[in-house]
Amino acid sequence: MGIENPFQDPLRFERQAPECAIVIFGANGDLTKRKLMPALYRLAYDRRLSAGFAVIGISRTPLTDDQFRDKMLESVKQFSEDTAVDADVWAAFARGLYYVAGDIGDAALYQRLGQRLAAVESERHTGGNALFYLSTQPSQYAQAALGLGAAGLGKGGGWRRLVVEKPFGHDLASARELSGHLHEVFSESEVYRIDHYLGKETVQNILAFRFGNGIFEPLWNRRYVNHVQITGAESIGVEGRGAYYQEAGALADMIQNHLLQVMATIAMEPVASFRATSVRDEKSKLLRSMRAMPPDEVRRNSVAGQYGPARVGGQEIAGFRQEPGVDAQSPTDTYAAVTFFVENWRWAGVPFYVRTGKRLPKRVTEIAIQFNPAPLHIFDDDGGESAPNLLIVRIQPEEGISLKFLSKRPGAGMTLRPVSMDFNYGSSFGERSPSAYETLLLDAIVGDATLYTRQDMVEASWSVVEPIQNVWRETRLDFPNYAAGTWGPAAADEMLARRGHVWRKP
Amino acid sequence: MVAPEHILRELADLWVSLGSVLRACTLTLVVLEEASDDAAALGETIAALMPEHPARTIVVRLSGAGERALAERVYAQCWMPFGERRQICCEQIEITASDAALADLPSVVLPLAAPDLPVIVWSRSARLFEMPPFGAMARMAAKVVVDSAGFADPKRALRLLAETAGSGVPLGDLAWTRLTRWREMLARLFENRNYLAKLARISSVRVAYNGEFATSAWYMGAWVADALRDAGVSANIVVGAGRGAAPLSVELAGDGFRVELVRREDRLSITVDNEENCTNLPQPSDYLMMREELGIVRRDALFEQALASAARLAYATD
Repeated sequence: MGIENPFQDPLRFERQAPECAIVIFGANGDLTKRKLMPALYRLAYDRRLSAGFAVIGISRTPLTDDQFRDKMLESVKQFSEDTAVDADVWAAFARGLYYVAGDIGDAALYQRLGQRLAAVESERHTGGNALFYLSTQPSQYAQAALGLGAAGLGKGGGWRRLVVEKPFGHDLASARELSGHLHEVFSESEVYRIDHYLGKETVQNILAFRFGNGIFEPLWNRRYVNHVQITGAESIGVEGRGAYYQEAGALADMIQNHLLQVMATIAMEPVASFRATSVRDEKSKLLRSMRAMPPDEVRRNSVAGQYGPARVGGQEIAGFRQEPGVDAQSPTDTYAAVTFFVENWRWAGVPFYVRTGKRLPKRVTEIAIQFNPAPLHIFDDDGGESAPNLLIVRIQPEEGISLKFLSKRPGAGMTLRPVSMDFNYGSSFGERSPSAYETLLLDAIVGDATLYTRQDMVEASWSVVEPIQNVWRETRLDFPNYAAGTWGPAAADEMLARRGHVWRKP
Repeated sequence: MVAPEHILRELADLWVSLGSVLRACTLTLVVLEEASDDAAALGETIAALMPEHPARTIVVRLSGAGERALAERVYAQCWMPFGERRQICCEQIEITASDAALADLPSVVLPLAAPDLPVIVWSRSARLFEMPPFGAMARMAAKVVVDSAGFADPKRALRLLAETAGSGVPLGDLAWTRLTRWREMLARLFENRNYLAKLARISSVRVAYNGEFATSAWYMGAWVADALRDAGVSANIVVGAGRGAAPLSVELAGDGFRVELVRREDRLSITVDNEENCTNLPQPSDYLMMREELGIVRRDALFEQALASAARLAYATD
């Protein structure tokens, strides 16, 4: 152990990234333009980046460093939601932007990258630290990792880390295969699988809400919780991503990663400490406790859907099969609803209804925990059955937490009515919330993997999702089965009705 | 005469009159100011603080000598957050008190504090700090924020503050808050492994100040000395009035290694050996400093240690 900096004051100093170079594969892509570069610029604006910071963009298009800087400036101007570009801050930030053109499959690219990294290290004093960010087609992940390894770039004078975007495979076997390739060059502790949902302030707030307060955890079990609904609804269609989406589908695109991670955060056991290993261990345990359903259960407990054309708000909306790039007979699910069960003492028998879909009536992501009704109904018409106690954690939009309960209506008599007690995250704290990518990029640079997905978590998720995929693949699905602008197929309502439950209309 | 029940009734009426607004409150902020203070500037500072630290604010204006007199008025600070649909409002109570009525203040302020939330007392009056009623106000507070730069005798200010902190009152001093960005820059410098490796060479620390930066300078000297001692480095510390125009400068030097931080107008100049870098460092406003202090509603062990060391250091050099 070397000497530690004695001048630190964690209570007052802002968390700052150590010196490093970020190498972005796919630097001309949408993710870089819309999310990564605005997030990095904002970190620079907030003085979170060290002076020894650099970005090396990699893509096939031939560009000079200056051309790359100009393109990135345009992206930051266009996609920074709440940060105006400050000329001085941009000038200092842009001096650390570099570009290397090449094909990911070409070994010569990695030689050029190695030379550029060495030059940048001496010019910008990046300390030999490098974060490789794979913002490319998933099919190129293994190629890029192996290319870095072959050129000796997986190791260096400082630390090396690899950030991978989802999807992490398309089933259990491919997830393991991808992981095997990554591990040929990077150890698991150096691989950061990014799930931007986990970077959202409200998802992090679930941990604060559950484990920072003493009053909720005693209720957080099968004795008091009737069931849980997790909704990830989108009002938009595939927005030009038809070709990609057709290969993935709602189940793999949303439930396997984002929504199961959210569910793990809601249902995991309390952690002994807020450290990456402890948090990820508990999430992994939860995911491994989920029941992998045999085919007959899959048929009862899951519903696939695909939207058809409809007229919404006076506008004609095309069905999924009419979207550009989509096969006219595509069997892809644009809606998925699954009843999951967690087989542990806390949750045995409690259904977790998880649904996601495109072209639903509104964009909303939320978790609704419905509690058991009062055991006795002592008031006439107390509404306890029709208005159960609900705790709603809204992830987007209007992040916050609401508790619904019954209250006496003013006036004579004991008439009860449901009321809502709302905590609005955005307005209770007027501070700007960092974007998910700001949080996650800073975490990766600092080396905090708490919000990143570990390989065993990925495999556990696939273990419960793959049996559903298999049954759906073997079943002839009668698509389309819901109209754009509605809350999904009728079969999804029936799935809940069998247990006496109904979907919330968020 | 001021009756807390009356003020609370006025507050309740205020919320009814505001209609559908979101009420936000995370603490009670009691601000003590002299009548000669710039009330408009203080109002702007409080308004700027509210979005991040929504509070029930009680501004107590000290009207000085005269008859025993207390007066009050109640109003709301409202704002519409960007992209939101509903206004958010915070309550503000203004109380005017003559010196003779100061003893009555705690009994008025205590029932007005928002239930179950921390009370932060921000005393902008150095004079009040030494008056007996201040002790009663401080005892009800989760934190007391002062600015030792406003005290006539900097050494005496440090001793008083150290005694107050020693008696168990959690303190914040804006003279220390002013140093945060300075200290951060120094800490960042030693994130560089090459410089960190040279830490053991440091044998002398010189802090020079001008004007109102005296207590800040003692804090800086004490903090650097404590940090070096914790790292096993023994250095001679000198804090004194500076000869140049710079309000504050700090130099760490030793065997072939020298680090200097100097403020020149709105710039902080950082020199390592002969290499100089400049960074933008405007004088922090009251808003920025209070924003930082309100974010720390708990004991700040590092500050308390620096305060105790600064008081010792200041008197040891007499």
